[in-house]
Amino acid sequence: MTDLLNQPSNSQFKFSREKILAFTLILPSLILVFITYLYPAIFTFVISFAEYDIIRLKIKKFIQFKNFEFLISNYFFTSSVLRTIYFGFLICVCTTILSFLIALLLNEKFIGKAFLRVMIVLPWAVPSVVSGVLWGQMFHADTGFLNALLYQLGVISGYKIWLADPLVALHVIAIAEIWKAIPFMTLFFLSGLQSLPSEVFEAAAVDGANVFQRFSNILFPLMLPIAIPLFLIQFVLAMKSFDTIFVLTRGGPGGGTTTLNYFIYQEAFETFNLGRASAAAYVLLIITLAVVLIPTISRFLIKFFWGNK
Amino acid sequence: MKKNLILKNFFIYFSALIVFLIMFFPLYGLILTSIQPENIIRSRNLSFFPTEIIFTHFAEVLKPNHISNIYEGIKNSLIVSFLTSFLCIILAFPASYSLARLNLPAKNIILGTLISIYFLPTILFVIPLFVILVSYQLDDTILSLVVPYTAFTLPFVIWILKSFIDKLPVEVEEAAKIDGCSTLQLLIHIIFPLLRPGLIAAFIFAFILSWVEFLTPLIFTNNLKISTVALGLFRSTIDIKIGQQAAAAIITLIPVTILMIFFQQYITKVVLSGSDK
Repeated sequence: MTDLLNQPSNSQFKFSREKILAFTLILPSLILVFITYLYPAIFTFVISFAEYDIIRLKIKKFIQFKNFEFLISNYFFTSSVLRTIYFGFLICVCTTILSFLIALLLNEKFIGKAFLRVMIVLPWAVPSVVSGVLWGQMFHADTGFLNALLYQLGVISGYKIWLADPLVALHVIAIAEIWKAIPFMTLFFLSGLQSLPSEVFEAAAVDGANVFQRFSNILFPLMLPIAIPLFLIQFVLAMKSFDTIFVLTRGGPGGGTTTLNYFIYQEAFETFNLGRASAAAYVLLIITLAVVLIPTISRFLIKFFWGNK
Repeated sequence: MKKNLILKNFFIYFSALIVFLIMFFPLYGLILTSIQPENIIRSRNLSFFPTEIIFTHFAEVLKPNHISNIYEGIKNSLIVSFLTSFLCIILAFPASYSLARLNLPAKNIILGTLISIYFLPTILFVIPLFVILVSYQLDDTILSLVVPYTAFTLPFVIWILKSFIDKLPVEVEEAAKIDGCSTLQLLIHIIFPLLRPGLIAAFIFAFILSWVEFLTPLIFTNNLKISTVALGLFRSTIDIKIGQQAAAAIITLIPVTILMIFFQQYITKVVLSGSDK
């Protein structure tokens, strides 16, 4: 920015005026983003090394890495980190596979396709609180459809309290998240499928490749560049999920559905230990960055060691 | 060959039915619960069709002194969502033009940062924002919701608008510039009308994202003076009346569902326009 202000020459003046105009147009957005993201992120970083007085809203004292040390030795924290990674992985694997299959279906011609597409996109607009309520009712011990259905079919002998089992509850939350995540990814896969050249498939069919060969040799490698970013984005979004957990189980039973994001919420707004919560938030940030960066780095390494692919 | 085609068609319709059931049944179950009397909901006879339709749950939920306070919630959510979407468009329209067409330094870095912010954990920013709001006594105000919502939604809206501007023909702008049109005039008189589908899509996106937001109002409106519709619904989960809870959920859902069905084309267009590069 400074160098373009110090440019006196006339020919470059016009050029830099456009730059100034471009900058002015985007400046309000950047200011807002700075106030609500960058400044808070720095603030969180600072208080993650401190003890924060919630009543006087001041930093009490700096305690170096004590917050992080506490977290690492805390069983609830470490188990919630592992749970978060499992939870994120489960959701993005299931969502990717299901969305891809649904996109394959929507890529075919059939009557009622437009209607089905609307029905598939709909869960995206469902507020996650509603999705929590909805799946809560589905798995409700007394009135849920699942209990009634399984009971009538004779699969279970009595009504089960699904959400009382931590492991089952975690998977119920995952189902709710997957149901909500499918629409968006399906649309992206569909747009990817529609941009593929159909000649390749026709040529393969003429050459006698069967459905599975066409899938594994053509479709799969062609879709991989679309699938990998979607997979990672879903991983990151799944680790962020909060609303469904809050509505369905509030992290329970016995902390069995507490993901890292929920752990941070509890530390910050239930026990009001902002220092620890901030430290945990930075751990979540590091995990998020790792998820995004590991594939990029590994691709770079592969390129570096094995040459251009 | 023909037999193969029939088999294929059968397979397609069969899987379409399965997909429809999986995606729609949860919503259908919710509707069913909302229009049936409490004793039928609680009875152990499984029925997938309504035996007795009543609307008392909706009437109860919409009463002003109901626990979920959904009536007040809808009002607040409408105000907040409209303000947010409006602010988003006002901020994002010039910003996205600047990113798409003008010679902005470090363009890719700015765009990359904006988009990657969306995927960072929200809680990282919420903790200090909470401290700031409380210290200036701004919590429990409309402002405390609109500003964070706008910031959370803005990167997304800029990305949508930019991908729409990228698709506009440059020739029109060049012609206008030759005719002596300033950039500001160009933005208002030429780009704005051309960009209408993009603006509508972005507005709906911002509206839906603000309507469904839950974490921010949960934390920033701790005294519950300003309740949004999502918070109201959450409070109804404390109550044990399943029918009313379902009715509240449906009421929360209606505005966004209508938007989705009407503007599904636009939203699909957004996704399709963003990914084919």
